[in-house]
This record gives sequence, structure tokens and C-alpha cells, in this order.
Amino acid sequence: MTSNRRILFAAIVAVAIIVVVLVTLSRTLNIIPVEPVTVQVLYSTEKEGWLGEVGPAFEATRPQINGKPVKLALKKMGSQELVQAVLDGTEKPALISPASSLQVTLLQSEWAKHSPKPIVDGKNANSCRPTLYTPLTLVMWRERSDVLWGANPGGDTWKKLHDALANPKGWEAYGKPDWGSYVRFGHTDPTQSNSGLQTLVLLAYDYFGKTNGLTASDVQTNPAFQKWLLDIERNVPTFGSSTGDYMKEMVAYGPAKYDIVAVYESVAIEQAPNATSRYGDLRVIYPPTTTMSDHPFCVVSADWVTPEQASAAKLFADYLLTKPVQQIAFGKYGYRPLDKSIPLDGSDSPFKRLSNLGFKANLPAEVDTPPADTIASLLNFWQTNAKK
Amino acid sequence: MHKKTILTSLIALMVLVTACGGQGGGSLPIIGGAQHVTVDVVYGSEKTEWLEPLIKLYNGQNNKTASGKIIDVKGNAMGSIESVEQIIAGTIKPTVWSPASSIYIPVANAEWRKANSADLVTGKPNDLVLSPVVIAMWKSMAEALGWPGKPIGWADIGTFAGSGKAWDAYGHPEWGTFKFGHTHPGFSNSGVAAILAMAYAAAGKQRNLSVADVNDPKVHDFMSQVESGIVHYGASTGFFGDRMFERGPSYLSAAVLYENLVVAQENKRLTGASSQPPVVAIYPKEGTFYANHPYVVLDAPWVTAEQKEAAKAFEAFLLAKPQQESALQLGFRPADPAVALAAPLDANHGVDIAQPKTLLDVPPVDAIEATQAQWRTTKKPVDVVLVLDISGSMQGAKIASAKASLKQFLDRLEGIDRVQFMIFNSQISMVSELSQLSDKRDELKSRIDGIVEGGDTSLYDAALQAYTDLLHKGDPKRIRSVVFLTDGQDTSSTHTLKDVVSEINRSAGEGASSIKLFTIAYGSDADKSILTQLAEPTGGREYDSGPQNVNAIYSDIATFF
Repeated sequence: MTSNRRILFAAIVAVAIIVVVLVTLSRTLNIIPVEPVTVQVLYSTEKEGWLGEVGPAFEATRPQINGKPVKLALKKMGSQELVQAVLDGTEKPALISPASSLQVTLLQSEWAKHSPKPIVDGKNANSCRPTLYTPLTLVMWRERSDVLWGANPGGDTWKKLHDALANPKGWEAYGKPDWGSYVRFGHTDPTQSNSGLQTLVLLAYDYFGKTNGLTASDVQTNPAFQKWLLDIERNVPTFGSSTGDYMKEMVAYGPAKYDIVAVYESVAIEQAPNATSRYGDLRVIYPPTTTMSDHPFCVVSADWVTPEQASAAKLFADYLLTKPVQQIAFGKYGYRPLDKSIPLDGSDSPFKRLSNLGFKANLPAEVDTPPADTIASLLNFWQTNAKK
Repeated sequence: MHKKTILTSLIALMVLVTACGGQGGGSLPIIGGAQHVTVDVVYGSEKTEWLEPLIKLYNGQNNKTASGKIIDVKGNAMGSIESVEQIIAGTIKPTVWSPASSIYIPVANAEWRKANSADLVTGKPNDLVLSPVVIAMWKSMAEALGWPGKPIGWADIGTFAGSGKAWDAYGHPEWGTFKFGHTHPGFSNSGVAAILAMAYAAAGKQRNLSVADVNDPKVHDFMSQVESGIVHYGASTGFFGDRMFERGPSYLSAAVLYENLVVAQENKRLTGASSQPPVVAIYPKEGTFYANHPYVVLDAPWVTAEQKEAAKAFEAFLLAKPQQESALQLGFRPADPAVALAAPLDANHGVDIAQPKTLLDVPPVDAIEATQAQWRTTKKPVDVVLVLDISGSMQGAKIASAKASLKQFLDRLEGIDRVQFMIFNSQISMVSELSQLSDKRDELKSRIDGIVEGGDTSLYDAALQAYTDLLHKGDPKRIRSVVFLTDGQDTSSTHTLKDVVSEINRSAGEGASSIKLFTIAYGSDADKSILTQLAEPTGGREYDSGPQNVNAIYSDIATFF
């Protein structure tokens, strides 16, 4: 061989060696990774803070399905909107969590209309598990609450609210004309969000003076009730599309935007410190009867969910029921935990640290969840007469 | 033997590479040549100080989409309403639109739907930062009106402006007349907010403003009262703030601005960067609007799914705590409620976070449009002298573009506005004396068409005559301006630049009510320095221009009126 050929030969061999080394290295160092199992999680917006914290914590435990790492893709939405998105195919999640089993029931009944195979099963613990609890409450800026209803607002909350809203003089009637020509009350759009629907249900029950047996006929054939409800609804400046974001807006903008809102106790607990550091204390007012949201996590059974994704989804749902995660949900985000071994009056209890704002562990009586046709009649009436 | 060696090595190479490939499907890592996706953000100019550094920061971080494309953000500051009109007209095609507030979104959607089947803005865009619309006033003047003990609002502004009285009625003759300003509601969000607030105040309401309300004579009368105190309008709120704070209390007594601009100015004053006296934010007692700076990812045919993904990633960055905290430092109320409101949002900087006490509801589209129409009948009328250089060098495309732009400029004026039109070369010719446009709009346009160029340039003589004509024939109660276009330098005047400038200084009216000179340096031979010297002392400004952008220049000047 001449020296030129030797050099050429050496160069070719060197290139070959470099190629081998690069490929081996890249695989060893995991530069070319294994495909993860991604779980699309569609959830109601008030859980954003909690899931934003425990989601990454879950991933940090290096969960695996068949040797593949599990990754979460979290997306927030209003509860009713979420259901609609699954029904019309714009979202294809593996795990859903609306605010309440109410939405799960609605999803199931709508889905059943065109498909014999259930998408979720609210009664099957392998499909859906409630995870956290929170009641619906009224939340007001304390300074304004003091003027409107005094330091200890008692019962008859909804009737008092109706009268404050219907008063044509607004805040002038209470000696505070510069607070506005009308008292600003708000809740979410009941066709998009669970808390808005719950507000209508509580208003209706309260009007009729009962805690169960609300019928479609009650809603549809009683003009006095309809007028009373519209007196309230027509005074709402804007209906939010989801509870978590609505509460954040109340606190970001301050008392000029909303005097009082109907939201979950949990979002009020979460935002209470922010309110104080921006504009002033909040006050929570528990209505005479309430209704709970149970934040179910449901593994979706559909052709867009692979068995691996379903297993991974269940892994995450299980994780959310573990004590430390429940503790975070309670202590930091104000949800009443499913795990009954966590005391509601422990050292990290929000009911203790925020008791001066009215938060307390004891709850008023709950109303029964009305049947589907009653809910439909309420939503219909609202959509026709009150929606903006 | 030569061939055998090469063949052997090639076979060896192939075997090695194949062996590697067989061990589980790895592939060679890609070296270099990554792809990019661009996010074009068009935004209201009052966010510039916050947004531009963040765009640079974000771009430097090598952020990527799920498919691995590098995200590049490009920012473009513009008046809020002007930006959406350009989007609808198709002259700009951004990924993201971030106006100062959501007020105009329903109007934008209505306009968009005239040519498209779906909305331009869908869903509920997130707020980036918040800032209430306020009346910014020099502190001593606010105190003279009873602030802070007495709540002040539009009613007080209207009464003062319409009273014919001056500051001497409040014990301060040295302040002259009450001079007020807000931006043009056809271009800028705070201008729209101002006229809606006036309409609400006149109607005695805080919500449900209707077309019937707006067309009630008491709204017309009240608006006319307030507008009589206006000295000029403008294209953007940031511009207005700059004007007021650069030129001080003798220029403007008060202007409709955003709270963050008051904070920014007070920051400058406290750090010695401005020598003006203190300014405060007055939150009108009748209620106000918030500028909520929504981040709108456009649902337009030119926006790809990957651009939407990239835009959302940039939004998440802007909403993250460090970026929200930097907004606070610039005087915004962060949209993230977890960021406490602290200095500089305090009394030291002229603001009060316990305000506003109540908000006005955004009216429906038809009421907003009715209010804008009502405003056009009550706005301060204009006396404007248009001066056009027709010297020989203006030939061809230059004179053609200038003429076309002048005609479009006329269309931005109301019938009640008065126009004088002069042309000059070595001579000055009066094409049309100062008189109402409603009497002569078409005739004036055809005269403009008939102009022929040629001759020398008596720039100073023309400027001086235009100015003195307006001084003697113009109405000081109107917005008085000279709009002067030239492509060259003076070659034949009898007067000097010094003559013109000293005449202006001698006879300058009060502050912003003075006659304003807008000079357009048309092309590279125009003397920008001289044209700036003519414009600046009057409170006007100089523009660099050519045939390709002269239309935009005239449009910008028109927002002043």
C-alpha cells in the first residue's frame, strides 16, 4: 500500500469508529429516550393550583407502565364545558375531573344516547373516584359585607341577597354611593361551570323552602319564583366560564368588580391571603343550606385511550388519594379531604388560620341533588332568560 | 491492490454501521439546522416597557414547541384600535393581538364577521396586567379642585371646561386656562373609555348604556362641555402621557391616561429623571374602566396550530410570577392575584389601590358605535392650514403620493372643520382660504388634483405665512394646526428660519392650545433639522417621509384632530 492509500484507509476506519462511539454513547446517555405514556388530564379550573403542584410531584416519583415513564398533560376548563368537549370530540382525555359527580352523571347520560359502551362509570370505583370535597359558599369583601349585613350575617342569605340586588338605589341605600349604583353579585355560567349550576339549585331550593324534591314543575310553572330568580340573575354584570378563574378575577381586580360571588369554599380559602395582600380581607358566608362538589377523577374508557394510558391514569388517580397529597389539598388549597384520618382542626387547617374571615369546619345541611329533568329545566330557563 | 483496500474499508464501514443499526433502531443525532416558529405580537404601546425586555429574555432562552421548533417572538407596538382595524383590513397578520382592553373586542368581532364566517376572537383571553383608566392631573391643580377630600369626576371636568372660567377662579391665575386631553376614540382604547365614561356620567348610569341613552340631548350637551376643554387628541395613550409629562403643567392641566403611566412618571420624578411637579391619578367618582391587556391568540386563517402552541407557551411565560412582578415595578396591577400590590403602587407615586370603587360595564357594540358617532359631533373642531411644496423636485411619484394622501387626510376631517390650502415654490399661492370643509370638500379635492409642480423653494416664507394666517384668522377655541410638507431646503425665501421661529415664540398661544406645526420631511433632500426646529417649539412634530409612507404620516397627524 502506498502512504496515500494507508491514510485513506485509516480515515475511513476512523470515521466508522466515531460513528459507532456516537451511537452507543447516545443510547447509553438516554439522549434518544423511550416513548413515555402520556395521560391527558382534563380538569376543572379551581384545581389548577393543587394539580400544578402535585402533578410534577407525581412525575418525580418516576411512575412507570411497562417500563415506560408516565407523563401528565394537564388542561383546565369549566366543568360543564369539559363535559361538552368530550361529547363533541374536541378533547380526547384519558382522565377527567369535573368539579362534581353531577357532571359525570350528565356525561354518562348524554354519551349513552349514541354509544352503548359507557365512557365513564360514576358508580364504579375502578372508573371514577371522588377525591376532595368542597361546599358552595358566598364570598364578599369584608369591608362591604360589614356595611351590607353587619359583622355577623345570619340566615336568610339568599333572600337578603335578592333584596340588596333589587334595590334601585344600590349602595346609596347603605350610605356608600361611591361603591356603585348597584350591588355587584356574580357566579359562573351554569351551562359552562358547575358552581353556577349549584348556585341556581340552591337559590331554587331556598325559594321553595325545601332541601329535597325540587321538580321541573316548580321551575317551569311558578311565575313568582321565576321573577324572583331573574331579579337576581339580571343584576349579574358578567357570568364567568369557570370557578377558579372567576375567583382569581375577583381578587385581581378588587372590590370595584364584584362585591359578592358564589364560589366554592376551596377557591375562597386559596385566594383569601392574596385578597388581603392586595385589597383587603374577604368574608365567607355559608348559605343556610349548601351542596358539595366531590371532584371525581374518572378514567376514560374510549377508543382514544390505550390500555397503558388507562393504567397510567389510574396510577395518578390513586396517587391523589394518598395522605400527603390529600394533606396538601386541605392545608394549602382548602379542599376538605376524602381521607377522613386528616383532622379538620389540625395545625395546618385553613379553618383555624382563616377563622377570622368566617371559615369553619361545620357545614350547614346539604340539599339533595335534583334529578336530571329538574336540572335541565333550570338550565333551560336560565339560558332563555338570563344568559348574556 | 488499491481497489481491494478501498473496497475492504468500505465493507468494514458498512458492516459497522449496519451492526449499530441492528441494535434497537437508534439513529444518528441531528447536528445543527433546527427549525423556528415565529409568534408575531401586536400590542398596545403602553405595555412597551414591560413587554419588549421580556420578549428579548424569552427569545434568549431557546424555548421550543413539542415538535422541537425554536420559538421566536416578535413585538410590534401600535394604538389598540388602529391595530385591530389593520388586522381586519389584512394589512397586518399577527399571531397575537394584545390591545389595552377588552372593550373593543365585540366591535372587532362584528367587523370581522362582515367578511368572515367565524369570530376573530374566540374563548376568553387571559388578562396579562391590569391598570385602571384615570384622569391624570398635576397634584396642585387636583388639590385646587378639592382632591383628595372631595371625590372628583367627569361632572367636575365638564363643569370647569364648560364654565368659560380659568384657573384664576380657583386662586391660581398663573396656571392659565383649563387644558384637557384624551386620545382619539377612533384609534386608542383610553379615548373610547373616556367617551363611554362621559356618556355614562351624563346618562346617570353605570351599566346598560343603550343607543337611546347615547342619543339623548343631555349626553350631547355634556360631551360638548367636556370636549370644549380639549386641546388636542392623539393616536395612543403612551404618546399622550409622554406629551403631558415632558411639557409640564403649562401644556396640559389633565389627561385621560392609565394608572401605570402616572406611576412611571412619578418614578422618574422621584429618581431625578424628571423635573416636573408631582402628578396624581384621579379615579372618576362616576366609575371607570380597567385596561386589562388581554392576550388574544387570533383565530385567523393565517395562524397555524404550531404558532398557536408557541403563542400559548409565551403567554404562560408572561403570566409566570417573575414576569408579573416586573409588571408591578412598572406600575401595573399584575393579573396574577398571588402578587401583592405594593410600592410603587402607593400614594408616593400618586396612586391609590383602594380605588377605583366601582366599574362601568362595557356597553354593547351598537352603543359603543353610537357613542363614537356622538363624539364626532361634539369633538373640538379644527382650523388647519395645509401647505404643500410644489417646487420642481416634487415631480412624478412624489407629488402624486402627496396629493393622494392629502385627499385622504381631508376625509378624516369633519364638515365643520375649516381648512386653508396653500402651495408654494418660489411663490406662495393660496388655493383655498380658511373656510368650512362642508362647503368645499369635493372642490378642494379636485383643486389638489390639478396642481402642477415646478420652480424654487420659499420654505420659510410659506411657513411664516401659514402660521400668521392661522394666528389672525383661526379661532383659538379650535384645534389650530399647520401641516407642512416639503421635499427640499429653502432656496428663495425673503425671511429666515430665525424670523419664523421668533414669530412663533412671540405669539405662541397657551400651552397645548397653541398653534401646532407639523412638518413632513419628504425624501432625503429635505432638511430634517430645520423642519424639527420649526415644529418642536410649537408642540407639533417633524416626520421623516417618502412616497411609500406619506399616507400613514398624514393619518397619524389626523389622530391629533
